[in-house]
Amino acid sequence: MNNFRLLIAPRFVGFRNSLKRSQGSSKIKIMTLAGAVFLFWLILFALFCKVLLYFSSQEMIGDTLARHLLSMVILIFFSLLIFSHIVSALSNLYLAQDLELCHASPATLTEVFLSRSAHTVVDSSWMLIVFGLPVMLAYGVVYHARFGYYLSLLYVSFPLIVIAAGLGILVIMILVRFFPAQRARDIVFFLCIVLVIGLYLLFRFLRPERLVNPDAFMSIAQYLGALKAPDSPYLPSHWAADLIWRQLIGHPGGQILSHLLLWSTAAALVVIDTWAAGIVYFSGFSKAQEAKRRTRTGSRILDKTISLITRPLGPETTSLIAKDVRTFFRDNSQWSQLLLLGALVVVYLYNFSVLPLDRSPIKSVYLQNAVSFLNIGLAGFVISALSARFIFPAVSSEGKAFWIIRSSPLSARRFLWSKYVAYLVPMLILAEVLIIYTNYLLKVTAFMMVLSSVTIFLMVFGIVALGVGLGAVYPNFKHESIAQVATGFGGMIYMISSSVFIALVVALEAGPVYAILSSHFRQETIGPLQWVWIIGSFFVVILLQIVVVKKPMAAGLKFLSNYED
Amino acid sequence: MIILKNLTKTYRGIKAVDDLNLHISKGTIFGFIGPNGAGKTTTIRMMTGVLRPTSGSIHINGFDIAREPSEVKRIIGLIPDRPFLYEKLSGVEFLRFKAGLYGLGGGSLTQEIRHLLKLFELSEWGDELIESYSHGMKQRLIIASALIHGPQVIIVDEPMVALDPRGAKLVRELFRERASKGVTVFMSTHTLSLAQEVCNRIAILDKGRIVASGTAEELEKQAGVEGDLERVFLTITGGVTGE
Repeated sequence: MNNFRLLIAPRFVGFRNSLKRSQGSSKIKIMTLAGAVFLFWLILFALFCKVLLYFSSQEMIGDTLARHLLSMVILIFFSLLIFSHIVSALSNLYLAQDLELCHASPATLTEVFLSRSAHTVVDSSWMLIVFGLPVMLAYGVVYHARFGYYLSLLYVSFPLIVIAAGLGILVIMILVRFFPAQRARDIVFFLCIVLVIGLYLLFRFLRPERLVNPDAFMSIAQYLGALKAPDSPYLPSHWAADLIWRQLIGHPGGQILSHLLLWSTAAALVVIDTWAAGIVYFSGFSKAQEAKRRTRTGSRILDKTISLITRPLGPETTSLIAKDVRTFFRDNSQWSQLLLLGALVVVYLYNFSVLPLDRSPIKSVYLQNAVSFLNIGLAGFVISALSARFIFPAVSSEGKAFWIIRSSPLSARRFLWSKYVAYLVPMLILAEVLIIYTNYLLKVTAFMMVLSSVTIFLMVFGIVALGVGLGAVYPNFKHESIAQVATGFGGMIYMISSSVFIALVVALEAGPVYAILSSHFRQETIGPLQWVWIIGSFFVVILLQIVVVKKPMAAGLKFLSNYED
Repeated sequence: MIILKNLTKTYRGIKAVDDLNLHISKGTIFGFIGPNGAGKTTTIRMMTGVLRPTSGSIHINGFDIAREPSEVKRIIGLIPDRPFLYEKLSGVEFLRFKAGLYGLGGGSLTQEIRHLLKLFELSEWGDELIESYSHGMKQRLIIASALIHGPQVIIVDEPMVALDPRGAKLVRELFRERASKGVTVFMSTHTLSLAQEVCNRIAILDKGRIVASGTAEELEKQAGVEGDLERVFLTITGGVTGE
């Protein structure tokens, strides 16, 4: 056990040292973070107090609702705990840099395993404990709980965390038994993304806006049914919720089974994990050391597709685009964002399909066309946000390997325009899908369909030029992760410029579009002066597009040509 | 042929390269040696068009790098000291990408890639991602990529970094073989034995200026010492010879 203490000590000593020796900016950072956490904590506490007070004012169903909410909260916490233990166990048990030192030391395998598991528990649980506390305190305050309730929180949380840790660590040991640790990391990462997307889509498709519509539910029973959490008496979260609730309402007795189940499951999982570690942990760790290499890359179809599409652009541009596409799809942090993008598009389109236009006091046909027009701006902002993440970092994505481009005969102009072409095509397709499909859902007039398709088509040229051009003016070739690039000063300048550009286009077109639609619906003719104004406005829009394509690209080109690191 | 005329580079008031003049004829293996911070890498970066000189000019095989950068870059092959590569490409894909930047393609390219991978003992690793390569393997891949377009001038910054003895021997022989075919090799190095062994001419750079140049024997005479290049170097740059 002495070795166990030694093995866990560096983390805590390091944490203490960083707190003790932090000074200046890092102290400010810590204080700011602590302030933000405390603020969030207060908001959460106030929110739950308000909700629980509202529940307790509802006779008959108030306590039932509060009990349901408690079950739901504990179930969510328990699920998140398991997931967070899976992620953290992979890194602590298999991928951490100091593991070689631990395994080379005279400590036994069990001591190494238990010490790394302790790290996993600390890494995975502290945040949930911090954020769970205000919720549980709110329950205590609203229900005027006695001291026993607060004690029971500690008494129940400990075995619940141990169960989550036991399950998470067991899952990762089984995964690494069959896949190399690097591959398991990809799988876990992929599962994380799927989980986030799943929750996002689930939440949206539940149509939470119905809760503010009193007609949506026929009876209290139906309402309660809709709220009911997917609970089961076999789940540890159910036992924990049961014990906490009984303490809360002042009837702590009679739940011996829940006590026994909770603690015995926790103890059993510690024994099972330690036993399983003795069999599979070291072989998994050893495999993780070998698995850093040998990643086969079969990409013949991708090669052929890219060279077919980009052939007219010449071998230099083809090479550059092919390299960018391959790098993008082989970087998990990059391609996985496409899944999030897909979910965003699905929800965007879904929102339009459930718009309650028929219940609006404004005549539907006006509203449909007005929404369609505003949608040009909205779609523009979506494209702009995506460009901030994918296109603005396009130049910086060369990273430290940028010397290869700079020392090659490829000119800065060709380099920059190749990037432009590579990103323009997918963005044009996406923008047109967003606009045409939403217009189809809105059943707009042919005029609006043509106008919005053409406007967004032209707008994308400007948005992409702003992204590539400003990305070249504010490059970051020394980034740790490509996601950092968009969060810098340049990224902010890009978002502001792009938003102003979109707002200008929408503002310039708003008047003429209103005039044309009004004359169409009122069956009036447009006067010659009005025609001059309309044509003039559209002409200015086209002029603006040309300026927004040329200027940022020229600025980017100038910067890259003079760039010296 | 490489001609550097009054080449100067100033960083925030400090002259990293100070009025450098060099004339290197075709087929020469030219060694460029000097202490850390002497300005060797800065000179190389200016010669390859990565840095812009503060003043002076660089002509390579008759092309002025300031006016015709693409023409110069088309005939040179750069081997930098740090192997920063596109880690998510395989070795074959990287070589194909590099060739594409020089406008090369087709069936003969596949043959050339196969030949270079074999030459640098990377054939087995050709389809693996570069992220799984060791430091030495990355360096060998960079050297292979610098040769893919058949450069007339090879510019090398520390060629032996991370190379094992087999790799180092291969590179030495390769430079000699290319030079015999008229390729000029400009090599910056700290490995003085390498410079002494393979270079026809050597220049010693200190604080941005050339303090001595010539063949190894001529340098010995200039320094007034006999023996290996290390003693010459230490004497000229003001270090202690230890004897």
